[in-house]
Amino acid sequence: MNQQTFLYQPKISDVMKNINKVMIGKEEAALLSIVALLAKGHVLLEDVPGVGKTMLVKTLAKSLDCEFKRIQFTPDLLPSDVTGVSIYNPKEMEFEFKPGPILGNIVLADEINRTSPKTQSALLEGMEETSITVDGNPVSLKDPFFVMATQNPIEYEGTYPLPEAQLDRFLLKMKMGYPTASQEMEMLSRTSGGHPINEISSVITRDELVALQKEVEEVYVDTTVNRYIIDIVTGTRKHEGVYLGVSPRGSISLMKAAKAYAFVHDRDYVVPDDVQYLAPYVLSHRMILTSEANFEGATPESIIEELLSATSIPVKRNISE
Amino acid sequence: MPTTNDQRSAVFKLMIYVIGFLLFCEWLLPLGSITETKNVTIFFIYATFCFFISFIQVPWYLSMPLKLLGLAFILDGLYIAETIFSRNWFSVLYDQIIFNIQVIQSQEWWQMTPLFRSLLFLILLWLMSYLLFYWIVVANRMFVFVLLTLIYVTVVDTFTVYDGKWAIIRTFVLAMAALGVTSFHKEMDKESISLGGFKKGHLWVLPLLAIILFSTVAAYASPKLSPQWPDPVPFIQSAAEGAGPGGGGVVQKVGYGENDSRLGGSFIQDDTRVFTAMADGERYWRIESKDTYTGKGWEDTLEDPVQTVSPDNIPFRTFTDEVEVEEQQSLIELTSEADFRKLVYPYGTTSLDSYPEDYRLQIHENTGEMDTLKGDSPAKLNRYVINYDFPSFEYDQLRESSTEDPEEIKENYLQLPDSLPGRVRNLASQIIEDEDNRYDKAKAVESYFSSNGFEYSTTDVPVPDENEDYVNQFLFESQIGYCDNFSTSMVVMLRSEGIPARWVKGFTGGERIDTTDVTYNDELQNKYEITSGNAHSWVEVYFPDVGWVPFEPTKGFTNNADFYTDIDTEDSDSAASGSDTETPEDNMGNPQQMEEQEAASDSESINIDSEQSYVWVYVLAAFLLLALLVLYVTRYKWISAFLIRRYRKNEDEETFEKAYQYLLKVLDHKGFKRKPEQTLRDYAFVVDRHFQSNDMRRLTNNYERVLYRNESRRSHWPKVTELWENLIKKALS
Repeated sequence: MNQQTFLYQPKISDVMKNINKVMIGKEEAALLSIVALLAKGHVLLEDVPGVGKTMLVKTLAKSLDCEFKRIQFTPDLLPSDVTGVSIYNPKEMEFEFKPGPILGNIVLADEINRTSPKTQSALLEGMEETSITVDGNPVSLKDPFFVMATQNPIEYEGTYPLPEAQLDRFLLKMKMGYPTASQEMEMLSRTSGGHPINEISSVITRDELVALQKEVEEVYVDTTVNRYIIDIVTGTRKHEGVYLGVSPRGSISLMKAAKAYAFVHDRDYVVPDDVQYLAPYVLSHRMILTSEANFEGATPESIIEELLSATSIPVKRNISE
Repeated sequence: MPTTNDQRSAVFKLMIYVIGFLLFCEWLLPLGSITETKNVTIFFIYATFCFFISFIQVPWYLSMPLKLLGLAFILDGLYIAETIFSRNWFSVLYDQIIFNIQVIQSQEWWQMTPLFRSLLFLILLWLMSYLLFYWIVVANRMFVFVLLTLIYVTVVDTFTVYDGKWAIIRTFVLAMAALGVTSFHKEMDKESISLGGFKKGHLWVLPLLAIILFSTVAAYASPKLSPQWPDPVPFIQSAAEGAGPGGGGVVQKVGYGENDSRLGGSFIQDDTRVFTAMADGERYWRIESKDTYTGKGWEDTLEDPVQTVSPDNIPFRTFTDEVEVEEQQSLIELTSEADFRKLVYPYGTTSLDSYPEDYRLQIHENTGEMDTLKGDSPAKLNRYVINYDFPSFEYDQLRESSTEDPEEIKENYLQLPDSLPGRVRNLASQIIEDEDNRYDKAKAVESYFSSNGFEYSTTDVPVPDENEDYVNQFLFESQIGYCDNFSTSMVVMLRSEGIPARWVKGFTGGERIDTTDVTYNDELQNKYEITSGNAHSWVEVYFPDVGWVPFEPTKGFTNNADFYTDIDTEDSDSAASGSDTETPEDNMGNPQQMEEQEAASDSESINIDSEQSYVWVYVLAAFLLLALLVLYVTRYKWISAFLIRRYRKNEDEETFEKAYQYLLKVLDHKGFKRKPEQTLRDYAFVVDRHFQSNDMRRLTNNYERVLYRNESRRSHWPKVTELWENLIKKALS
């Protein structure tokens, strides 16, 4: 796909520089995380442990001057472990709210599919509603609020797969993957000294981040590009290997993500390249394949790839609309 | 080192161009032998001249006048006697062009004058020099031209008398050389190899020469198949032999012609307007009569005596003073398509009015043929008013007319060929045996054709064989035909019964298109339009006290002459007094002799002419095809040049969009295929990588802003135009 190096938006460029100082070969994952953050969405990472998820999120949080929280999901974790609880304070003679880890700016929810659905939904509610309910009282979440959830590949034992409706709440799903040999070599040589994460400082304030999120909403999407998005999404609904196609929420998500992606590249309008690049990340977790397609070895990613190469790019102005 | 590269490429170009020119000469060479082109050398010189000017690439404002000058000098030397560029010179040229344009409009190709044909051909050479320059030098494409040349030479060799034996060898050698040099040039370009001048020229010149020599010798020495089919040239020539006037089943065009020596054959209709006439009613528009029947057609043996008179008083009458007449006038206007220099006149013409000065009439007293002269040479009289005494023939006068014909009449108008079959005579006497007077006899013959299975048709009409009589064939075998068949048969049958009769040509009344109040006469007159399709032939029968009386034997036509009866009882005259009735079948047209190109009686020369003019048409068509092909192959070049000029002027987004789309098309044509799912950025990246620039990305960025941002880029227009032009030029170079 598109392999060109783009110019980044100046502030984003600073963030990326920070990340590159700490991480090696994780530029794409970092960029996608930033895109999700700017689009006020959340990311689902499907990967094995030890590839640098935590480090990525930590670096991001530090660069953005944000509060970082981490929840390690286990089968016995309770919803209140996520949201926080009210504890009776005998001195004050009243219940006092102890905020849970969800009340941070950037939350890493590790191995989300290893906990019970009840606990999962506590997190997911927060992701969707920007507020949670604790003991019947609403507690609003922080702004910005960004969740990066990881899940083990589904085949592992002792997991509670996330239901389709909940997967839909993640803007992007991505994989980090292993570094290449040369990247790993460099990694080894770099970690021999002090850890670089201690040397970076924040480049964007929280308020600036909120302002950037506002700017992202202003990015222009032409009807020709919207038409292209619709073409791809309706393609998933018509494809014979797909049992459940992408919902309209998927189209909206694709457009939002494309806006953020355009913004990251210092553009105030969306081009089809943005859509094309993001479609596999935005759409693949929003569809269910038929068992025949699964059996034949198709994956959602391969089907989206196929749809992208079958959908022509709009190269003329859409005058009739 | 750019200079050496430029020099090298200039030498290459020159080589290729010279070879291209030599190949083009192979196209011109056959013209001398297969067409009537006489001055092939001059065309050669002009082609060389044009090719040279194209090659040195002087600006158009120099090359154009130069080529025009060359053209003018050639035309002057070949055709125009006047001093070059004098007033008369231009007027001659102007007249010629106007005349030829008219000829082309009326689709009478064979009438085009040599001057005009040469002019067209020279312009074609001019065009070819320009196109071939682009094709060969700029586009660097030789193969199609080489292939076409080979095809052309083989076709010309096979189907004409031209012997292409050496031409094919020359073409072959040239083709090998051309292809060798072009592909070498392309290869060098692609790999950016510099040979360091021509020091190592032998590295490629020798192998190329060796290959050419070897393959030529091998081809010459190797055994060849003898021709797989018989030479078609003799067949074509023999087929063309019969294509003389009235020849073997050839379809001719209807119209007034002068050569009636061989009648028969089919006609195609032609509605070209010949003249308009103001008249009280439909009239026969007479031109001439003919007297001698040869068994195949009509000849004129009574051309003399001739007298030249002023149109104020025309001493020619077909009827005597005993006939009742009515003075009438008629305005005749010939159209530009009418090409006869003769008077068309109604019966009883006495004088002309309102004709241009200097005109006189040369009257053939016997036939009634009146040549219009201006000074001493025949000229077309375009507009005139005829005063005439319109005759009305009284039935009883005709019936009671004596049968004592003057000797002179008997001598001239009872002639029949010895070869006339007896059954024609027998049939004639059968038809008239019950009638006792000349008029009824003539009427009997006239009405014989309306029944008895005769059919009017202009198609499927046979031409009599060498030993067959025209009338005999029509009366007893085919029974299908048009006015010539009917009128000739009637004349022949009457003559066989001793009744003097003659065959008359002219036009029927035509179609009434208007009724006008005419100024020179206070009456209302009808306006008739007479087309080539109205050309007609009919019969005149001699009555001693009355003169010549017209009869109309052709089925579906009515007699335009007026007949009346003194006693007011009705007569069996359904066919008579048809002067005012609309002729229902008028639109069927009445084919007459077609105008053969030279009107020469020498059919041999006509055959050659017609064959050659066909070859001309083919050669011209081949050239045109070639020109079109070149235009098609180089289409991106000239369309681009045109668009660059146009887009510079326009600044709206729509133009930008069109221009960008066109650029995509050009790039696509040049091998940068954009898949539909490939984004513009991605594509621009690929294109730029090839051209090692970033023009396409910059242009695409602007285009994206228009397309996906809905933004106006007017402020960037000069830059955008420049980028676009650069890319188009790069893509096409």
